[in-house]
Amino acid sequence: MAEMRAQHDPDPVIQTTNLSKRYGSVPALVDVTLAIPRGTIFGFLGPNGAGKTTAIRILMGFLKANSGSATIRGHDVWRDGVAARQDVGYLVTADALYPDMPGDDQLDYTAKLSGRPPAIRERVREALELDRASLKRRLGTYSKGMRQKLAIIAALQHDPAVLVLDEPTDGLDPLIQRNFEALLGELRERGTTVFMSSHDLAEVERTCERVAVVRQGRLVANETVADLKRRYHQVATIRFADGVPHGLEHLPGVRLVGREDGAVHLSVGHDVNPLLRFLATTDVWDFSFQPPRLQDVFMDFYGEQTPVADVESHPVERAS
Amino acid sequence: MTIGLMVGRLLRRGLAGTLALLAGIAIFQFLNPLIADSLGGAGGVQSLIETLPESLRAVARIQPELMGFSGLAGYLSLGFNHPLYLVLLASTTVGFTGRSLAGEIDRGTIALALARPISRRRVYLARVVGLIVLCLALGAVGSAGTWLGVVVSRPAGEFEPAHLLALSGVAILLAWAIGGLTLWFSAASSTAGRVVAWATAVLVVFYFVDYFAELWSVLEPIAPVSLLAYFDPGQALVNGVVRPLDAAVLALAGLGGVVAGAVVFERRDLTV
Repeated sequence: MAEMRAQHDPDPVIQTTNLSKRYGSVPALVDVTLAIPRGTIFGFLGPNGAGKTTAIRILMGFLKANSGSATIRGHDVWRDGVAARQDVGYLVTADALYPDMPGDDQLDYTAKLSGRPPAIRERVREALELDRASLKRRLGTYSKGMRQKLAIIAALQHDPAVLVLDEPTDGLDPLIQRNFEALLGELRERGTTVFMSSHDLAEVERTCERVAVVRQGRLVANETVADLKRRYHQVATIRFADGVPHGLEHLPGVRLVGREDGAVHLSVGHDVNPLLRFLATTDVWDFSFQPPRLQDVFMDFYGEQTPVADVESHPVERAS
Repeated sequence: MTIGLMVGRLLRRGLAGTLALLAGIAIFQFLNPLIADSLGGAGGVQSLIETLPESLRAVARIQPELMGFSGLAGYLSLGFNHPLYLVLLASTTVGFTGRSLAGEIDRGTIALALARPISRRRVYLARVVGLIVLCLALGAVGSAGTWLGVVVSRPAGEFEPAHLLALSGVAILLAWAIGGLTLWFSAASSTAGRVVAWATAVLVVFYFVDYFAELWSVLEPIAPVSLLAYFDPGQALVNGVVRPLDAAVLALAGLGGVVAGAVVFERRDLTV
């Protein structure tokens, strides 16, 4: 529902146009164009050094782009940065908090800097399971996970319309990660727009509607998670009673990708009916389908895994 | 309101160290009148100074001609020309300016403010206000220490307590000049350590330019290059005045550094 509402929003909340940034002669970001509608959780993916943090720093006005533009809610992030950040929550790295301050003082300080009351502090604190007693202690005594929780509360507590989160669940245990994902879902339902980078592809797959993949500073994919996965074939593993029948690999949309211990691994397109009709005529011992994972898609962009995708037939710009 | 909030945070950060340095200045200046008293007041101090070689007098920026007619006030001003006082004052100022901007960039804490709807100009202005507060404190503690020392020891010789205001003024101006320059370095750097290194290098050059210009007349023309040439606590404590040229140069040096820092900070990339 949120996605439908977002898709019909004519003005993207976050927009970049041909955004480029160089460090000396080294390009960090090259012609990145994005438009993120309201109420979307947008994943920004790439390995270390791909340009994710550079993009986030430009959005927050910490870095000036060499060319192109970036806006938040229509305000240029460099020339009109104060207005652009008016309703933004940004997750600082956990090390950027003041170690000499107690947790609650830190939260009060950041809330006052935001100029807004900490309307959802308690809700976020409960979701992250950070107990009140811990907030009385100085940050210097916190574990990495606790500092990360506090940084998340500081970013979210004033209930901003836009969240910019760089590796938000870094250091959180799996249970708290799930709570955090559920919280982001709640916020999205209320129209909050989230721009997040993450190394955790399973988390992105669970949380984000749209993702962009950046490689060596260039955008190599930018679409919904569902569309991205749809373009990749599923893998079917089949064990036949009487050996592999003839004609299997000639079925439309089906390709033999391997054999192992009497089983065959097939790459199958979206339309599984030709395969199912064929299998109905044979004696099958065992059959399993593995849907494509975001991780498979991501690895393919980085050439670390043999692709099972028919990418040539789809208009994704591939980096050279 | 946000500027006040940020200034409070800046001053609280490293407060123990800052207070220790301020206390060091106050104690040093407090001891000065006690030492004068133990040497027999102004006359005894004068006799001692006349025995010192010229090179040693230059280290402490002692002007015998001033001492000759100024008595106790002239001696007390030595505490403000002494290298230890200059080191304490410079350390306090450089430490604060380095920590408050480059140090915050280095740690990433500056992002807490910059990620909010607060302009870089306001973030920088908070540092300037913090520096001004620190300069006022530096001006006050030295004079307060001197006054307390005189009250406690009552050394022989003439001394006008009202002149301590002028003395505070020149100390504030020197701290402002050093602070302004180092705030510029801090705005351009991303580590407090680098700011301290740059500032120390510049201040050492200033000190030795002043020292050698005092010793060798041939080097006198380069004396105006050093900020210390415009720092004259003797005039302030003896005559109760701050020379307008000195005040103008120190004030403008500080202001120039602050403005240059603002321009740099407004435009630079911050990898936080």
